[in-house]
Amino acid sequence: MQGFATAATPVNLLWCFVGCALGTAVGVLPGIGPAVAVAMLLPITVKVEATASMIFFAGIYYGAMYGGSTTSILLNTPGETASMVTAMEGNKMAKSGRAGAALATAAIGSFVAGTIATVIVTLFAPIVADQAVKLGPPEYFMLMLLAFTTVSAVLGKSTIRGLTALFVGLAAGLVGLDQISAQARYTGGVPELLDGIEIVLVAVGLFAVAEALYAVLYEGKQVEAQNKLSKVHMTGKDWRRSWPAWLRGTAIGVPFGCIPAGGTEIPTFLSYATEKKLAKDNSEFGNQGAIEGVAGPEAANNATVTAAMIPLLTLGIPTSNTTAILLGAFQNYGIQPGPQLFTTSSSLVWALIASLYIGNVMLLVLNLPLVGLWVKLLKIPKPYLYAGILIFATVGVYGMRQSAFDLFLLYAIGVLGVVMRRFDFPTAPVIVGMILGPLAEAQLRNAMSIGEGSAMVFVQRPVSLILIFVVVAVLVLPRLARRWSARTKMA
Amino acid sequence: MTQQNPSTLQTIVAGGVLLIGLGLAAGAVSIPSAAGYGGVGPNFLPWLVSIALVVCGTFMVWESRTGGFRAMDDSSGVLPCWSGFAWVSAGLLANAALITTIGFIFSCTLCFVLAVQGLRGAEGKADLRPVKLLKDTLIGMAIAAPVYWMFTKFLAINLPGLTSTGWL
Repeated sequence: MQGFATAATPVNLLWCFVGCALGTAVGVLPGIGPAVAVAMLLPITVKVEATASMIFFAGIYYGAMYGGSTTSILLNTPGETASMVTAMEGNKMAKSGRAGAALATAAIGSFVAGTIATVIVTLFAPIVADQAVKLGPPEYFMLMLLAFTTVSAVLGKSTIRGLTALFVGLAAGLVGLDQISAQARYTGGVPELLDGIEIVLVAVGLFAVAEALYAVLYEGKQVEAQNKLSKVHMTGKDWRRSWPAWLRGTAIGVPFGCIPAGGTEIPTFLSYATEKKLAKDNSEFGNQGAIEGVAGPEAANNATVTAAMIPLLTLGIPTSNTTAILLGAFQNYGIQPGPQLFTTSSSLVWALIASLYIGNVMLLVLNLPLVGLWVKLLKIPKPYLYAGILIFATVGVYGMRQSAFDLFLLYAIGVLGVVMRRFDFPTAPVIVGMILGPLAEAQLRNAMSIGEGSAMVFVQRPVSLILIFVVVAVLVLPRLARRWSARTKMA
Repeated sequence: MTQQNPSTLQTIVAGGVLLIGLGLAAGAVSIPSAAGYGGVGPNFLPWLVSIALVVCGTFMVWESRTGGFRAMDDSSGVLPCWSGFAWVSAGLLANAALITTIGFIFSCTLCFVLAVQGLRGAEGKADLRPVKLLKDTLIGMAIAAPVYWMFTKFLAINLPGLTSTGWL
């Protein structure tokens, strides 16, 4: 209740509202996602106090998930992988004149899933934190290794390109002073590099600048047809078909958010497959569009995103781009998320969790009656949209260190981002590697010290050993499953 | 314009990864091991990352020479618009070069105007009439100025201005 008291102060409510509105806008607009929006606004951490800015960033984070579905349904351009399934089925519904029902089931489903997942965060995060206190450096290192493995080797189409992106991120994280020995690494004698490479610079370069450069290079001639918006309303039949799908989507999404297995792709696709399998008549799927195919994955998406707060807050482990940047925001305040967070910064944590409840209600209001307003954003001509993003990119990067050199570096990273996108390298592993790399290195070295220089420490401790098996399973099982399904197809 | 063979471009990208790996290895040589009690020093991760990138780069060079990168999206047939890219690049680089001299608002407006020309050109709607340029400039300013005021006045974040008033 203390959390609600803090979150419900007029100032924090205002931050929450601005965050939700901005997040929805960011989600609706193509070319800019929650990760980049939070990254560009990170300079506010210099001035705004920690609770307010974390509430604000969280608002952007889940607001973007609501907004993303609007674009997917009306334009068939999913802003990120999380909305891909919504784009598949929702767009089909919109094409057959049922855009309103698709938007309504997406928004209400997001609300239901977001709220249930927040209850789970409220109940379980403190328990996980209690247990996490017992974990030592070997277990933490293994958890981080699991996050690295899933984000690079499992998600994305190519393991080798995912791993390359991860190691590029780890390399970027190496620049600066070593945390333990204070040894300078890869600074080339440049004093600015002693502090390391700013995460804002890399995130904004890879996402915002690269997006603008990629759009001008390859997407200029692309014409998008927008579906007509019908009245946002669900019939009794729509409700009956939607609610079980929302609950199933939530049940699938929450566990995926809780484990450091990264991303919303797997739960949303899993939810879609489940709905298709359970449907009495699945002829609508892929043709006129089935409402369950929007309701389930949207709920799964929001449940995953909200439950991802558990590993972030209790273990300090981000499982997506945006949570990685949220971790960066905590670090700007000198706060290290982890099991101690619930005791050292309990008012911040509980206010943040309370803001998730409040934000969900705000987002429902912002997204149901006001959806027509957000759709108007899609009328902004693309040249103005991308050029405007570049102004915000400048303020985000320059505002962090007041260095014009960083703006040149921003361009270089933007070009790197274009190359990565053109050759299908995922970008999430770069960010996760860069933020988690130094933390994982410190845990590894502490673990090795505990083991007196012997790597056996990782197999001698039961939790660490289990995590090794999980990492191996995560690497091997999908490949075996693929090979098995290929073999059964051949037979 | 002739289009380069995609696998040649892939080899260049994979070679770049290999070179980064080798460059990091060269840098790792000068980092002392100072392993101490744990047996793992500050040079451990640099070596691990360099070796991993060399292995990944080599593997991708092999992939590119034997049929191309695996599991790629088919993006053949889309010709890049280099003139548009040059406009946007000019905008970003001019912004970096001029921000401390002409201030945030004018520098960002210039970046905006140049980028809009590039993006519009990429759509095949290039329009350099003075009226259009003036409109773009005004829109750019209408975005840059409030952003500048919000950051300097409300959030007290230091951004360069043409004057020291915090308004321009």
